[in-house]
Amino acid sequence: MTVVAAYNIKGGVGKTSASVNLAWLAAEGGARVLLWDLDPQGAATYLLRIKPKVKGGGRRLVRGKSDPVALLKGTDHERLDLLPADFSYRNMDLALDATKRPTRRLARVLAPLAGAYDYVFLDCPPAISLASESVFGAADVLLVPLIPSPLSLRTFDQLRRFVADEVSEPPRILAFFAMTDVRRRLHQEVIAELSGRDGVLRTAIPSASDVERMGVHRRVLAEFAPNGPAGRAYAQLWDELRERIAPPGSVSPF
Amino acid sequence: MTPPATQLLLPGGLAAAAAADALAGTLPIVTQSAHTMQRTFWDTFDGRLHDAGLVLVGSGGRLALTDATSSAEHAAGKLPGGAVRLFAAELPAGPLRDRLAPLVEMRALTPVARVRSRMLPLNVLDDIGKIVVRLRVEEPVALLGDGARPLALAARLHVTGVLGYDREFERVRAQLRSELGLVPAPRPVQDDAVEAGGGNVGGTSSKLRVQLRPEERADAAAVAIARRLLAVVEANLPGTLDDVDSEFLHDLRVAVRRSRALQRELAGVFPPEPLRVFRDGFRELQAITGPTRDLDVQLLEFGELTAGLLDGGAGDVAPLGRLLSDHLRAERATMVRALRSARTRALLENWSDVLDGLVESDEGGRPDAARPVAAVAGERIATVYRRMVRMGRKIEDDTPAEALHDLRKKGKELRYLLEFFASLYPAAVVKPMVASLKSLQDVLGRFQDREVQADLLRSLGDEVAALEGGAPALMAMGVLVQRLAADQARARSEFAERFAAFAAKEQRTVVKQTFA
Repeated sequence: MTVVAAYNIKGGVGKTSASVNLAWLAAEGGARVLLWDLDPQGAATYLLRIKPKVKGGGRRLVRGKSDPVALLKGTDHERLDLLPADFSYRNMDLALDATKRPTRRLARVLAPLAGAYDYVFLDCPPAISLASESVFGAADVLLVPLIPSPLSLRTFDQLRRFVADEVSEPPRILAFFAMTDVRRRLHQEVIAELSGRDGVLRTAIPSASDVERMGVHRRVLAEFAPNGPAGRAYAQLWDELRERIAPPGSVSPF
Repeated sequence: MTPPATQLLLPGGLAAAAAADALAGTLPIVTQSAHTMQRTFWDTFDGRLHDAGLVLVGSGGRLALTDATSSAEHAAGKLPGGAVRLFAAELPAGPLRDRLAPLVEMRALTPVARVRSRMLPLNVLDDIGKIVVRLRVEEPVALLGDGARPLALAARLHVTGVLGYDREFERVRAQLRSELGLVPAPRPVQDDAVEAGGGNVGGTSSKLRVQLRPEERADAAAVAIARRLLAVVEANLPGTLDDVDSEFLHDLRVAVRRSRALQRELAGVFPPEPLRVFRDGFRELQAITGPTRDLDVQLLEFGELTAGLLDGGAGDVAPLGRLLSDHLRAERATMVRALRSARTRALLENWSDVLDGLVESDEGGRPDAARPVAAVAGERIATVYRRMVRMGRKIEDDTPAEALHDLRKKGKELRYLLEFFASLYPAAVVKPMVASLKSLQDVLGRFQDREVQADLLRSLGDEVAALEGGAPALMAMGVLVQRLAADQARARSEFAERFAAFAAKEQRTVVKQTFA
């Protein structure tokens, strides 16, 4: 089971869009996939047409008092399940703070699901907090959507330093450019300089109306616009990511 | 992570579109476009996956292990292109191999059925358009191969729940049953396809399982047992000849050995002269298959035997592994020629003819023929048991190995007798007796197998020495022979305790009361 956390300190950079589209594509490729919507806003849960509610509340779940299996919801893709968002996740820091080894808590919640899924995607809320540190402790890969701008890159550097300095078993960090606009010179320059280098994936996700329309249709791109620019870019991004996160020397089963 | 699921039979002649219309009148469904899928179902010859309630299905380059009842997927991976036989050990590392390996062990997975189905998916939606129950109308045909026409199988409706929407599943299932009168399918589609192709649903067992009545004539009982054993030989012959996996030969040899035990122990129900011919014939059949089986065992255990050799040791024995494989190929070719010969064919056919006419044949020279089988069986079991007790008591620490080998042979004879006649006696007697016998036989078997393996290695010494890289291989073989000798010595040291349990007073009393 490989845990991929879509994470960025900043909000509105495409974490939810990446989580739901990549999770769907992984399932479409034959893998058994779980998406855990950790964002109290519940956008991923909404897109998948599921009620943002965790029976017993998020606090009980992260403290190990609820069985995560009983909280799973199947999505419209047979191989993709969801652990839904809950508005109580807004207080996750408090819930974690009351536990022993809070940075290992999310990993412990996922442990009983290890045999059941090939990939787990975490759709994380923005900010850097105790909840983020618990995400770093659970994830094998931090997938960071970046808007190609100097400030965005500065934040990415901060994140890398933090993870390297503060996390005992740091996850791999892979970034990709999101919401790119090829008409903008700055975007072109930043992408040209960093794409494919230094932990940045080659595939960029263009700014496209299809991504916004996901919220209207409440469907992922593969369902209603697989051949649009964003749909194609996500398919390419999944191919690239899957290859990058496969263990060395292994042949991916999917 | 398994959603609930069920399969319902659609009434004969109801086309998918008509079924969809009928369902739409009852449920809020959205019909998707129909598609055709072709699936190959894989299992071992003896149906180990079927027994475990599992289905291994290949489709579109993907191999998935699913639950037979719910169709929930346990593990999946890539299906190697063009594969006609799969061994668990050859699959890529991952959950699929992890799940399959302990179940199928050394057995090969081969296609047991091919099915082409037209699938019409129908989704039951909730009020915001989310799928809460999945329905699929399946119209399957069995693909029988060899130019045979595909055969239509019973159409069915798959009803699969969605995690977290159990109530909706129950509601839909109840509606389908009460309003449309649909009943559960008695078995999965692949079982229908296996049967349509003339195969055995659930695989072909090599187990004995013969039901006898105590008052039955002994010759009729012997015929029933011998017929079953002959069927096992015949069933395992093609797989032995084609070298599908090593268990075909193993099961064939066990059936031959059991047949020989039956011929020997129930000699009094057969006419003496033809029996002598068949005893020679079956002895020969066992002899011609022996060297191949010995090499199969050596190679099956090669990894375990060479594991933990000192640094570089495992690499050192590589020439030995290749040499064993070369010998196996040569011995197998000899065996296959012998098994394909007219002589072997005639032996099996003539034995079958003898069995056909046995009960009606003259009883002269067949003193046990008309006696009740329980009487004959009881005598034989008690006699062989007592004989084993006498033989075992004479075995001391310095008794030559031959005596242990002889005891093991007698033990096999007793084991087979208990298996042949298990249905005549209470399980409470037979099971513990078989258990203590098995425990003794394990030790005796290890004692002898290690000797055979060490002898085989020693016999290959000159050949290995002459190979490139032969010197280090020879040295590693020395270590292996030592290990085998040490394990043989351990087995011998365990003998006394196991034998004591087997020959204990309580056991002797039970044998006397039950069989004598």
